[in-house]
Amino acid sequence: MEIKNIAPPLLVLMLFLAIWSFAAHLYDMVFLLPGPMTVALAFVSDFEIILEGVTITLREALTGYILAIIIGITSAAIMSQSKILERSFYPYAILLQTVPVVAVAPLIVLWFGFDEKSVIIISLIISLFPIINNTLLGLKSTSNNLVELFQMHNSSRLVNFFKLRLPAAIPNIIAGLRISAGLSIIGAIVGEFIIGSGSEGGGLGVQVIYAQGNLETPLVMALILTATFMGFAFFMTVSTIGHQLLKHWHESAQNE
Amino acid sequence: MISVSGVTKHFDEVHALDHSDLDIATGEFVTIVGPSGCGKSTLLRIIAGLINPTEGSVNKPDDSMGAFVFQDAALLPWRNVQKNAELLMELEDGFSKHERVSRACSALQQVGLEGFEESYPHQLSGGMKMRLSLARSLVLNPDYLLLDEPLSAVDELTRELLQEEIHTLWKKEKFTAILVTHNVSEAVFLSNRVIVMSPRPGHIIHMVDVPFKKRDQTLRSNPKFTKIVNEISGKLRTWK
Repeated sequence: MEIKNIAPPLLVLMLFLAIWSFAAHLYDMVFLLPGPMTVALAFVSDFEIILEGVTITLREALTGYILAIIIGITSAAIMSQSKILERSFYPYAILLQTVPVVAVAPLIVLWFGFDEKSVIIISLIISLFPIINNTLLGLKSTSNNLVELFQMHNSSRLVNFFKLRLPAAIPNIIAGLRISAGLSIIGAIVGEFIIGSGSEGGGLGVQVIYAQGNLETPLVMALILTATFMGFAFFMTVSTIGHQLLKHWHESAQNE
Repeated sequence: MISVSGVTKHFDEVHALDHSDLDIATGEFVTIVGPSGCGKSTLLRIIAGLINPTEGSVNKPDDSMGAFVFQDAALLPWRNVQKNAELLMELEDGFSKHERVSRACSALQQVGLEGFEESYPHQLSGGMKMRLSLARSLVLNPDYLLLDEPLSAVDELTRELLQEEIHTLWKKEKFTAILVTHNVSEAVFLSNRVIVMSPRPGHIIHMVDVPFKKRDQTLRSNPKFTKIVNEISGKLRTWK
């Protein structure tokens, strides 16, 4: 990366830190608004707790995400094969998106227990819809000429799907996976919020609740920042993989 | 022989094609010209078997292999040139991996795309895409080739070069060709026979035999060539 690309956001960051520092200094109440240095110190001194939180949350989010990919792509593939199936099930896929997950989460915990299982399911629910929606859109928008070309040479439904519709949908699928990457981590943290107000240890969401109970605001902020960057890093990883897959042939991955 | 008898096509309210009869001899090069929306592409798709006629039928010899060349080349953007050339052999049964590779290579050579095997469609010019599309069809040794305005998206110079190449390929491979175009001079340059269609509902209003033996750059300035072009253009104009 070139300096002219890094410099502007870096400048914004420094400005932000300066204002934050100044405000914290003005307030002078560490449990309300700790300054950036205090948060950084909390990050260092509680590094082990944070690292444990990252490991657990990442494991939960990744499991939920992978399940969402499998379920999402499979159900979109099935819906793309039949108008009746699509009409029957797509409205419920939308409900998956519009259901207030935060409100449903306690129910899920009630049904599946106060453990990782529930967290994974919440993460799965929140990341599922973008994958279904984008995959379905991609599978349905194959160019008409290509469909006719395959029809001309009597290709079967299966061949049509694997040699034409699925590869043609990859750019859309990747778009869905990018959106869901960040969501899966948010889902995991929402789940952790519900299950864990109790003990020390556990994912980032559990740690936030615990630290908040102890009025350890610097740690709360360190945990929130960690979660944010974790989501960002996950998004960037998925984007990079997507870019590698598309760089040979798709417009979205050119001129970069 | 491919014979079209009494073919009519309605799309909902639109009467696209009206009672068309046409016999095309084996090895013939026939071009269908007509104004936009006259149903000429529809007729070509009916001959291909891609759409069913409302009335009438199309008879083709049993076991004849056809290929369709689309206006926009219809390449798979995620496959490189070599893999695109192999595509139809994967869809049709009975080609071994080895055979697919070697046939694709020689077809690519025939259309002058050797050295571009690893390129992707977005890296090719319009003319090269169309060459690849032709090569992809030719690997099947088709009995008939259906071309739907294949040259409408390339520049004038490339178009003339490609017309000459299509003519050479047709002479060499001896397939039956049915071309749809709105470019009258292209039609006359390439075909044994030009079919003129009326505006919608499209039907055949005129047929012109084109007698020239030698088809090269000099033909374009031949007065007889110009005369036939003018005759067909005149027919098209009087119907508008």
